[in-house]
Amino acid sequence: MAGVSVSAVSKSFGVTEVLKDVSLEVRKGEFVSLVGPSGCGKTTLMRIIAGLETASSGMVTIEGRDVTNIRAADRDVAMVFQNYALYPHLTVSQNLAVPLVMRRLSALQRMPLFGRFIGDAKAKLAAISDETKRTAEMLGIAHLMDRKPAQLSGGQRQRVALGRAIVRHPRVFLMDEPLSNLDAALRVHTRAEIVALHRRVGAATVYVTHDQSEAMTMSDRVAVMMGGEILQIAAPEEIYLDPADLRVASFIGSPKINVLAAEADERGRVSVDGVPTGLLAPSRGPVTFAVRPEDIAPAGDGIPARLTHVEFLGDCALLHAETIGNKRPVICRVAPDRRPRVAIGGEISLWPDAAKSFLFDGNGKRVSAAVAKQKPAHV
Amino acid sequence: MSDAAAAAYAMAPRERSRARSLVGDGGAAWLLTLPAIIAYLLMILLPLAGVLALAFTDYEFGGTSFRWIGSENFADMLKDRTFMASIRNTVIYCFFVVPLSIGIALLLAILIEAGARGRAFFRAVFFLPVVSLTVAMATAWQYLLHPSIGPVNAVLRGLGLGTPNWLGSSDWVLMSLGMIGVWENVGFNLVLFLAGLTAIPRELYGAAEVDGAKSAWSRFALVTWPLLGPTLLFVIIITMTRSIRVFDSVQTLTQGGPNNASEVLLRTIYQEGFHYFKFGYSAAITLVFLAIVLAVMLVQTRLIDRRIHYG
Amino acid sequence: MRSDSPSLVKDLPRLAVLCIAAFIVLVPYVWMLAVSVKPQDEVFRASLTLLPERWALIENYGKVLRTIPVLTFVINGLIVCFGILFFQLLFAIPAAYALAKLNFRGREILFGFVMLGLLIPYQTTALPLYMGFHQAGLLNSYTALIAPFTCSVFAIFLFRQFFKALPDDLIAAARIDGMGEFSIVWRVILPNAWPAATAFAIFSVVAHWNDLFWPLIVIQKGSLYTPAMGILAFRSVESGDDYGALMAAATLVAAPLVIAFLFAQRRFIEGVTMTGLKG
Repeated sequence: MAGVSVSAVSKSFGVTEVLKDVSLEVRKGEFVSLVGPSGCGKTTLMRIIAGLETASSGMVTIEGRDVTNIRAADRDVAMVFQNYALYPHLTVSQNLAVPLVMRRLSALQRMPLFGRFIGDAKAKLAAISDETKRTAEMLGIAHLMDRKPAQLSGGQRQRVALGRAIVRHPRVFLMDEPLSNLDAALRVHTRAEIVALHRRVGAATVYVTHDQSEAMTMSDRVAVMMGGEILQIAAPEEIYLDPADLRVASFIGSPKINVLAAEADERGRVSVDGVPTGLLAPSRGPVTFAVRPEDIAPAGDGIPARLTHVEFLGDCALLHAETIGNKRPVICRVAPDRRPRVAIGGEISLWPDAAKSFLFDGNGKRVSAAVAKQKPAHV
Repeated sequence: MSDAAAAAYAMAPRERSRARSLVGDGGAAWLLTLPAIIAYLLMILLPLAGVLALAFTDYEFGGTSFRWIGSENFADMLKDRTFMASIRNTVIYCFFVVPLSIGIALLLAILIEAGARGRAFFRAVFFLPVVSLTVAMATAWQYLLHPSIGPVNAVLRGLGLGTPNWLGSSDWVLMSLGMIGVWENVGFNLVLFLAGLTAIPRELYGAAEVDGAKSAWSRFALVTWPLLGPTLLFVIIITMTRSIRVFDSVQTLTQGGPNNASEVLLRTIYQEGFHYFKFGYSAAITLVFLAIVLAVMLVQTRLIDRRIHYG
Repeated sequence: MRSDSPSLVKDLPRLAVLCIAAFIVLVPYVWMLAVSVKPQDEVFRASLTLLPERWALIENYGKVLRTIPVLTFVINGLIVCFGILFFQLLFAIPAAYALAKLNFRGREILFGFVMLGLLIPYQTTALPLYMGFHQAGLLNSYTALIAPFTCSVFAIFLFRQFFKALPDDLIAAARIDGMGEFSIVWRVILPNAWPAATAFAIFSVVAHWNDLFWPLIVIQKGSLYTPAMGILAFRSVESGDDYGALMAAATLVAAPLVIAFLFAQRRFIEGVTMTGLKG
């Protein structure tokens, strides 16, 4: 059964359409990232799943239950906000307890001073206190229980926000750029922790980020969003190795994929700047040829280019070049010992690996391509 | 806007000045502060010392001599019916104006904040009394509350209700002045509350909803009310000190009457000092007034210090 | 707190409550204007109709203008308010800069005096100031109206907070560029002080335009009356019975600031929120 299922959801604010007919399924226990540039609608989609925003049309179900018109409090979702949204006037332990208190105690029992003497409030509060302690220990923040959020470091606040989300074992776990306010080192470290935490909690998780490396390293599946649409949703390897859309191919991968204008002749043979690439397109006409930096290398007889800059990175070197025909920038990632012995400004010839190159049509959609012949990739 | 307000909230900034390696700012610094220091000495510090001294004399303005009479002025106050009435009225006025103007302002601020429609319009309307000349508006109120020709009593008559002499009867006069005070102060407090409300991060309401705060009331209790705490205490201080200093409307409308029923502290100071020219006695009352203002500020800044630990 | 605004129907209860409250706030203004154009006999009929049967606009306003020099009062008000403001800014900005950004012995003590000054309502010092002005023969003068307010500790406090937030590097850069402390104040600090200065200016003008206590003490001469005193004077001349003319007078003196407010609401409200510390 699907943990979360979003079907045909659209959303507009006034005249601007931020989500266009979006569908998404997240299985129980699955970790799905929504990744895309800012303004692509990923946060709106998450807020619709959370119930903080209502969809203009479409349906949201959580474990089979239609929650489209049910508000956030009744959806059994938990959310970690970008700025953590901790209650500044409450201590860490009180912050962790809020979701439990709000759900288990009646409005009367929540009253200050007297509430605790009404009915079974005391017993419930004791149970809540145990559970928050357990959660805090799991996250290593047990020693901070009496502090206020203002007295915590960024990383500690982030843990409290995580704790507040997992303390009541929600069916769905939503995270809105939870790492964006941490420094780089802490971010990498916390990634691994969140993944481990997700395995332990096992809830369907939707994770919003603009950072492709977060999405790629943490998720079971990645949904790449742009302009209010999901362009592709697949496992990280598939997104990288088999992009369905030029925008997906360009967004994922660093350095960015090389995009070159190409032409297919009447037999479908694709050439860049007049140099045959060994790929066959289904029909004749202009196409877009894309190849990742590690799949193009200097070799004789290739696309002529001028070397503009070399970055030595230790385990590899990045060659920056510009094609002589179309003046397009190209980056090649090569082993350091395979750097061409050419001065900056000198001419080199680049040979793409046809089997790992992609073709896209004028709308940026992937075009199926066949490999005609494979030139040796040595020299 | 809200940041600036928050900055001004920090009544007594605790921040240690960062030690700077630059030395030798001394000369320029004293030159830059000199005009302010001179004005401060002449207009604040010396007069303050003067009041302190005067309060223990029987000096009368225009007289040629005076005696040091110790605490006699203060002892006299206890026997002075006008003064006692003045203290009593000022306290009653404060306890009328402060809770009402704050409660109404908070309610209206929340209502304005709850939606986008009419925001600027309502804010401007409620703020209008703050920028309107008190004396002029008091005159307008005098007409509204006129016992025989005033529209308020005309309405009451139409409804078959009693028509009190709002400003002329000692039973009603304080309440009438209090209503005018509330009318004057609501807009001011409202604007401060709006600043406080907009400073609350939107995400917290989202978090509260996800955490299970289903009703608007529970979100108010979980987020709005506690986060408005500092603003609230600050508004209480301001309204309190403004109310203690009520003068214009009383002077315009009732001159403290009838029969001292609306005599207030500042007017007593004015009357004793500049009408009867009993400067010594007036100075002593001034000190009482100052002591009350300081006590209010002290108690409330203490509270603020204890409460504002988040932010 | 959704970003979608609710439908008009759902919004109606909220708007209704706000409208009722707004109505109550506006009642005095409406009646003030209405009565100011009514002839005396209609006023005394105590009817609840707002529009007059016979317009007495010229009659009432004419009477006010003949009886008291409204324009003089307004000009006095402007001279006093802007005179006060000028000196407040002139004294406070350099002092606040020194307190915020310069390191010198005695700074903490000076700041302590600023905090002390914040606690003292100006009415406290009225008696000795009156004696001083009397001694100097300055009663009934603009000086007496302006001088007591020239040192605004609140302005110093506000500007200090504001300047503290300016980066130290800005001042360091100015020093490296060869500026002395005075040219820093004049050329670097002042241009950056505008937001705080506008806010403070509005606060200060509103406070002193509306003040009655101090002018009542030091001014007896009619030609120096401030707007607030003007109405009181008119009332005593009229013995307070001609409400039409009285409301016309009230309208005339309240108008300048109210009109200024209606033109620059945002600034006014920002000014007051920013300076809300002292009412």
